[in-house]
Amino acid sequence: MSGATVAAGAVQLVGGVLLGPAIVGLIQQVKARLQGRCGPSVLQPYRELRRLWGKSGVAPEPRTLIYTLAPAVAAACTGLALLLLPIADLAPEWGLGHDALVLVGLLALARFALALAAWDTAGAFGLMGSARDLMLSVFVEGLLLLVLLLFALPPGSTDLLSMSHAATLPEVWEKPAHWVAMIGLCLVVLAEIGRQPVDNPDTHLELTMIHEGPLLEYAGRELVYLQWSAAARHWIMLVLACELAFPHPGSFAAQIGVLTGGVLALSVALAVCETVQAKMGVLRVPLLLGSGAALCLLGLASWLAVGGGG
Amino acid sequence: MTGAPQALAIAGVLAIFLGAINAGSSRSPRTGLALQSTGVLFAGAAGVWVLASGHALGAAFRSDIHPAFGLDPLSGFFLVIIAAVGAPAAWFARDSLRADGSGRALAVATGTFLLALIGFVSARDVSTFLEFWELMTLVPAGAILIARQDTEARHGVFVYLAITHIGGACVWASMLALAWHGALGGHSLGGGLAAFVACASLVGFSTKAGLMPLHSWLPRAHPLAPAHISALMSGVMIKLAIYGLVRVLFDWLAAPGPWVGITLMALGSLSCLGGVLYALMQHELKRLLAFHSIENVGIVALGLGASLVLRDIGADTWSAIAFAAALLHALNHALFKGLLFLGAGALAQAVGSLELDRMGGLLRRMPWTGTTFALGAMAIAGLPPLNGFASEWLTLQSLLHLGGVTHLGVAFAGTIATAALAGTAALAVYCFVKVIGLVLLGLPRRPECAQASEAPGAIRASMVFLAAGCVLLGVLPGPLVGRLAALSPGSVSLGGSTSLEVPGTGSLPTLALALALVALVAALARLAHAHRIAAAPTWTCGQPPAAALAWTSAGFTKPLRLVLEGFLRPRREAQIIVSSTGIVEAVAYSAEVPHLFDTLLYGPVSRGALRGARVARRLQSGSLRAYLIYLLALLGALLALARIGVLG
Repeated sequence: MSGATVAAGAVQLVGGVLLGPAIVGLIQQVKARLQGRCGPSVLQPYRELRRLWGKSGVAPEPRTLIYTLAPAVAAACTGLALLLLPIADLAPEWGLGHDALVLVGLLALARFALALAAWDTAGAFGLMGSARDLMLSVFVEGLLLLVLLLFALPPGSTDLLSMSHAATLPEVWEKPAHWVAMIGLCLVVLAEIGRQPVDNPDTHLELTMIHEGPLLEYAGRELVYLQWSAAARHWIMLVLACELAFPHPGSFAAQIGVLTGGVLALSVALAVCETVQAKMGVLRVPLLLGSGAALCLLGLASWLAVGGGG
Repeated sequence: MTGAPQALAIAGVLAIFLGAINAGSSRSPRTGLALQSTGVLFAGAAGVWVLASGHALGAAFRSDIHPAFGLDPLSGFFLVIIAAVGAPAAWFARDSLRADGSGRALAVATGTFLLALIGFVSARDVSTFLEFWELMTLVPAGAILIARQDTEARHGVFVYLAITHIGGACVWASMLALAWHGALGGHSLGGGLAAFVACASLVGFSTKAGLMPLHSWLPRAHPLAPAHISALMSGVMIKLAIYGLVRVLFDWLAAPGPWVGITLMALGSLSCLGGVLYALMQHELKRLLAFHSIENVGIVALGLGASLVLRDIGADTWSAIAFAAALLHALNHALFKGLLFLGAGALAQAVGSLELDRMGGLLRRMPWTGTTFALGAMAIAGLPPLNGFASEWLTLQSLLHLGGVTHLGVAFAGTIATAALAGTAALAVYCFVKVIGLVLLGLPRRPECAQASEAPGAIRASMVFLAAGCVLLGVLPGPLVGRLAALSPGSVSLGGSTSLEVPGTGSLPTLALALALVALVAALARLAHAHRIAAAPTWTCGQPPAAALAWTSAGFTKPLRLVLEGFLRPRREAQIIVSSTGIVEAVAYSAEVPHLFDTLLYGPVSRGALRGARVARRLQSGSLRAYLIYLLALLGALLALARIGVLG
């Protein structure tokens, strides 16, 4: 195993575990600046996690083992997903493979666990969020698979290592399919990490919330797991977008530089998007995602029209 | 070396036969059912041997009508499916059937049904094949009528028999055409007749498999049967229609052309999306599970269709992978759907009605039933690390690779099927979150649910058996997938024992993923609970949580119903009766999602058929003179035909 692979593994672990909250903090900070406020520091999410870690938990009645295990399941799925994601075209062999569809499966399992926890407490608020989340997931997963299909066309594989490697080839950039897949991926990122116009992460109003809903009953360390998972999902989706869509030729160090720049640029873009764009009605989001899917079909047609893999 | 497995298979069949006789003649059916359960396990062991060794037993296929029986690896695999569901189902029946006349009759029907299923996969000539095909249709109809005598059951059975017999006619036509041309065990049939046979067998077998739009009997008939018969119908019987389809399309027809595969994929996409969507809108557990059978058969059809198309364009490796994916999903579905139907039976025995909105809180009262049921629900929702994920992963991979071929039509079919399957997987998660939430979690919504007690031993044992199968095939599907891929006409070998190593993917290390997931969850849960956790009631704005205020099935699925309003066309009526003083006295509310296939497709067809029957009835006037004229006209017509030489 080369030194670069070890370094990539270190970035996978350290970056994935530690940098998620920084992305959330950065988006909040940039958003505040754009709105003319000072805003909380970039480190604020870390302070909140530390505060919560020290607090005692609350176990609502009624509950079963499902409620108790759900935060651990969500965090474990997110944690394993971090290991599947290559950094700078490299990743050590953790024994879990690097398949894109396994990543999708792990994220689905995390969503499933949280939705069940919302049922378990017999409370009304959690289910408002999880019903919407599951409804949107139908369209998000459909679109995500189409996007992955388009990105898998050049390497002919759903292995994330070869998919990310294929994005370094200059000829990929001449294909409209790649550009279309990028647009589709942007929509998936917005929906998957719960940002406007799909969801408003700053609100706890039960009439509008989606991703915050099932978290309401949790406290203490269990809430830390859930908030960390939400933050790490930012890292996963942004790194995935950079690895699959951005050009990153050159040495390992240059690639890490491109990745850092890409994640920062996407975070700022998300903040700008949240500032200028109001939240959509939840029933209109499927339309947005559906148009992304239609675009992906056009992308496939263009791929075949310009000779595709031949 | 073939003596031992042959003896095993024969002993198994004899044991089922004796078990059926014993169940019918002795006072309690328990011994007979135990004998049946053991017998079907013996037959399954013979199936495992045939599948693992690759050697055939008994006769080979022949195109004549002299009865012959035998097993080849494909039959062996379906025999394993029969045993995997049949053994726990018969064992389950020991505690679910009463020791009275109808209980004994149902036990005999169970044994007959098992024999019919085994007979169908081991039939080696056309007459036995068709004979057991019909028996397989009729026995469950009988079982339903033994268990229930109400009008709804009779109507359901009538619809079941009517629709499956239209399909059955197509099966007869295709099988007789194949046998006439010696395609069974001889040269595969090609040419123009092959297109006819392909169409007839697609209609015939997909009716029995429950593929949309020929599925209408399935959600009617499956919920009516006793739980263990439902498990056999949903888990095994509809899979044997897939067996017939595989035989005809892969073995007996020579390369029928890409349109067959694309048609199968279209039917599969429609079934999996439509099945799960209507399942989501159901409010009764067994009816919901029946709609999920349509979804899962659709996934199997997607895999088979992809395999046919890939074979046509010369991608033999991927054709074999898609074939293995379809068969693996057939087995997986048998396991988790068997488990869920048996679980539904156990729940019904404990609390009575299976109305989803009137259950709740059963995981605490029935930990064994609840846990195994939740495992089955996770598996059917296609979540890692259980078996549903492994087979859906393989199917999705083969559809994704279909999108990468250079043929425009094929690539589009593959892409649309990919999106359909991805949406289906997410919808299945949605649906089973709803089921687990309404049935097992939250507060009990009926006194029966608050006082429910755990199911008896035999029922628990049968569910644990099936749940263990779901976990085992989720963690170690590798060896089986290798064997199944080798069964496809392309004959390729796939590596990997603890993981699915498929070229062109990042591989699915099933064992490592499961272990890592379990270890990480255990460690994290331990770490969180090392800290103090205080108990408190759930926050519902200061009130105590009340069962009457809990979410309902319709409420939880409302976002999706609103999004898909144009397609689902939900109907609702609210009537508020206000007194003259302005006080609301009563509110009448009803809502439903009508099954559009019934209103838009089956309704007009059955109305047309009735109208045709009214016209045809005029011919049967009852007047002797009219009948004499018919005879005379027939005679004249025959003479005229003979005169011009048409009759040869």
